[in-house]
Amino acid sequence: MLTMTHLQKVYRTHLIETYALRDFSIRVNDGEFVAVTGPSGSGKTTFLNICGLLEEFTGGEYQLDGVNVRGLDDNARSRLRNEKIGFIFQSFNLIPDLNLFDNVDVPLRYRGFGAAERKQRIEESLTRVGLASRMKHYPSELSGGQQQRVAIARALAGSPRLLLADEPTGNLDSLMARGVMELLEEINRQGTTIVMVTHDPELAARAQRNVHVIDGQVTDFDAEPSLRPATSGDAAVAAIA
Amino acid sequence: MEIRPILSALMRSKVSMILIGLQVALTLAIVCNALFIIGQRLDRMQRPSGMNETDTFWLGSYGFGANYDAKAQQQADLVALRSMPGVVAATSTNSVPMSGGGWGEGLSLQPGQKNSTAQTTLYITGTQGLDAFGFKLVEGRDFRPEEFTFVKFGDQPHPQSIIVSKALADKLFPDSSAIGKQVYSEDKPTTIVGVIERAQQPWMDSDSIEYSTLLPMYMPYGNSTRYLVRAEPGRRDEVMKAVEQKLVEANPSRIVGKVKSIADIRRDAYAEDRAMAIILGAVIIALLAITALGIVGMASFWVAQRTKQIGTRRALGATKADILRYFQTENFIITTLGLIAGGVLAYAFSLWLMHAYQSPRLPWYYVPVGFIALWLLGQLAVLGPAMRASRVPPAVATRNV
Amino acid sequence: MFAYYLQLGLRSLKRNPILTALMVAGIALGIAASMTTLTVLHLMGSDPIPWKSDKLHYVQLDNWSPDEPARDDGSPPDQVTYQDAAALMKAAKADKQAAMFKLVLPVQPENKELKPFSSLIRATGSDFFGMFEPRFKYGATWNHDQDDAHERVVVLGNDINEKLFGGQDSTGRSVRLDGIDYRIVGVLDKWNLRSRYYDLTNGAFADPDEMFMPFTTAIDLKKRSSGNNSCWKSAGDGWDAYLTSDCVWLQMWVQLDSPQHLAQYKEFLDNYVNEQKKLGRFARPLNNRLLDVKEWMSDQKVVSRDMEVQTGLAFAFLAVCLVNTIGLLLAKFTRKSGEIGLRRALGASRREVFTQFLIESGVVGLTGGVIGLMLTGLGLLAVRALYTQYKTVAYLDWSMVATTIALAIAAALLAGLYPTWRACRVQPAAQLKV
Repeated sequence: MLTMTHLQKVYRTHLIETYALRDFSIRVNDGEFVAVTGPSGSGKTTFLNICGLLEEFTGGEYQLDGVNVRGLDDNARSRLRNEKIGFIFQSFNLIPDLNLFDNVDVPLRYRGFGAAERKQRIEESLTRVGLASRMKHYPSELSGGQQQRVAIARALAGSPRLLLADEPTGNLDSLMARGVMELLEEINRQGTTIVMVTHDPELAARAQRNVHVIDGQVTDFDAEPSLRPATSGDAAVAAIA
Repeated sequence: MEIRPILSALMRSKVSMILIGLQVALTLAIVCNALFIIGQRLDRMQRPSGMNETDTFWLGSYGFGANYDAKAQQQADLVALRSMPGVVAATSTNSVPMSGGGWGEGLSLQPGQKNSTAQTTLYITGTQGLDAFGFKLVEGRDFRPEEFTFVKFGDQPHPQSIIVSKALADKLFPDSSAIGKQVYSEDKPTTIVGVIERAQQPWMDSDSIEYSTLLPMYMPYGNSTRYLVRAEPGRRDEVMKAVEQKLVEANPSRIVGKVKSIADIRRDAYAEDRAMAIILGAVIIALLAITALGIVGMASFWVAQRTKQIGTRRALGATKADILRYFQTENFIITTLGLIAGGVLAYAFSLWLMHAYQSPRLPWYYVPVGFIALWLLGQLAVLGPAMRASRVPPAVATRNV
Repeated sequence: MFAYYLQLGLRSLKRNPILTALMVAGIALGIAASMTTLTVLHLMGSDPIPWKSDKLHYVQLDNWSPDEPARDDGSPPDQVTYQDAAALMKAAKADKQAAMFKLVLPVQPENKELKPFSSLIRATGSDFFGMFEPRFKYGATWNHDQDDAHERVVVLGNDINEKLFGGQDSTGRSVRLDGIDYRIVGVLDKWNLRSRYYDLTNGAFADPDEMFMPFTTAIDLKKRSSGNNSCWKSAGDGWDAYLTSDCVWLQMWVQLDSPQHLAQYKEFLDNYVNEQKKLGRFARPLNNRLLDVKEWMSDQKVVSRDMEVQTGLAFAFLAVCLVNTIGLLLAKFTRKSGEIGLRRALGASRREVFTQFLIESGVVGLTGGVIGLMLTGLGLLAVRALYTQYKTVAYLDWSMVATTIALAIAAALLAGLYPTWRACRVQPAAQLKV
């Protein structure tokens, strides 16, 4: 799905250079559910931004679904984001002035779908997250968990190949978090690749594979998804609930 | 583009939309009516007087003392003026167009007619009158030297023959030539011998501004006389300087003054119209500037307020152009709503002006032209903030603040 | 607490200099436009003699043609004939009365360094000075006996006394007008008339009168008015015919000190006209008017319609500026909702938040008002340049300065009210959790 090799990201001010990512290499296969963990300031978010084409990188190579991303212009990157990637943000980023229907509609508009197709996709994806009955409601009328479900619906509506989640449960209580997590697992089972950034080890444990980032470098791989103890995360979440 | 979602988003922040809309509405209403008033004033200022205005000037002579002979002095002054180098023609007259002061009189077709047929001004002129004014004779003839008479101060002028403006001739005799026809002033008959193309009255607000009559007479007003002088092209200012000296030398027992070019008379006559046009023009410019700045201010605020939202849209695949278009469409919608209200307001404003000041109705095309102008203004004003919005990096979406 | 809020307001305004400048400029421009026009309108239309404007009445008698009214709306002519003015002066039924007309005569100065010049003279009765109350610098008016004897006396205005006599007491000396010497009995102090309201027919904003002479003297010397003269039928030839004609060329004012006097004078006028009707004059129905100063000024449209339209537009302009400021304040205050939430959480009451933001609006208003005042000064300068005849009415006086500042602050507070109200509705909790 995506391959980063020797990726580098440097923030330059006129005095100092700060490496956010240094010689960063990773490969994510189609259909994988990868959790990227690491302490604050380790470069997780930079990785996610570059991964989702929200930021450019200063060195190395990045192949996304067979496309070499390096040197693409802003419009091409926007297009690629719109077609291939779905985003889930920690603070949901729903547009408060739009109702659920219109929120899910946003990426579809930029995709250029016709009205009928958009309507069908919006209804489908809202049904998938269980909020079809509240299409005319505004985000402020929903609970945090419900809002994140809408965000997921919005991410899914364009049938992306890759779902990027940035601390998707960070603003939720544990009960809601579990619901969202189950939804993500369900989506992954149906074939969508998911890369999730989190600093919560419990959550990371539920992914097929963990990547640990410290100081902008990958320090720890779970090479084999099957080695992961599948039950520990569930138990932890259950204990908190 | 995505009008419906933008509109429904706008409906969630009605106050800001109403404020900008209201501003646009008031601006349209004021600008349309102010422009219309300016147009009317400019039209008014364009009205031709019928006379040569570039080479002419007039002046007054006011004699004093018991021995002053106004009648003889008038003749002597005319001879002196006509002999000056650079003078084409000179005549005595009681008034000139646009000067604001003159003699009005009613003309009738029958003796003893109750209400006169037309109100005219009387220009009591000496020989060379047509030349000095520069009035164009279109029918009939100029006065003959023997037709000029002297009228004692305080007596009523009753000339044998008169020359009238074309507009007055047409009013008096709409179906036939006026030449040779008799008309009555205060029941005394007089004959029209000539028609001139155009001659305005001295009063700018007269209902009958085109109705003027020339009388072949010398009639000093007490000891005062006014002269109209026409100089050779390009020599007016030079002659104006020399003339006062010349007349005072001829007879020092008088005041020669109020030497004023007809061009200056026109400038003063329309000073209020010009002032109105300038003031309204300034109001229009200030208003458009304020409205544009208001749009810039509000749009900047909206951009700042929605930075996260813009970042999210970018993350979800919006291009820079999409973001630019979003803000432009939003501005277009608000402006349009304001303009619709403003169109109604503009006509209401015009109705009030019609009612309170008898102004003419606002022509229909002012409002659509105003629409286009304000659409453009709105788009230009929002361009800066919208560009700033389009430069919001998509990475803003993952920032948690 | 006020000082603290003031300090907060100033600091907040400094933090967003461009937005602040926009708001201040908006208020200043709106205020300047409306105050410039309002000042001119106010001075043009203001009561020139407030302490007695309801006691001074302008006499109008309808001696016009039986076939058509003097004016389209049916009102009587705006001046009176000589024979009526003379009869009313002679009857002297009012508390004070003054007939008058405008006269231009050449002045031949004693001082040979001065060239002869023409001068604007008001021919009127001695009551004029008691009615319109100009102050005398030297001497006094001529008296009724001198009126009756049509003596050759004059009262000089301040400016012409400066010109002819260097501002010295010239009473007792004489001035030569058109070959005749007139004895100076009085000199007026500076008389700052905004409008020459006692002769609106010849222009409210025309040049001021330079000297005054008895009406009877001017008539005796057969001086014709230099002002407006209207006839509905021929005056006939010669001076005597002119005096007995139905041409109107004089203004006639009476002072009536009580409503009873006014009623009595009305009755007197009606009787007078009815008497004249028997003599074959006054063919029209009884149509006498006795408007007071303010009514007469409004009848004669002293306030030009251009000025009214401009004032209307200027206030619409102010409205736009206010709407603009509301929008910008709203923007500014909404951005500060975090700060408001924090202050609320730290114990500020809704009222305190309200006060704080209203003071910030007030500061914008005060600044806008001060700049607006300066711009108003410039605006009035422009009005004086554009309308040369309005030089007496296009200046700021203290009441207008105060009005400007008050209007600016009121406007800014008004504009700030809604945004401030919105700001105080911020819930303390809403902005703090994240």
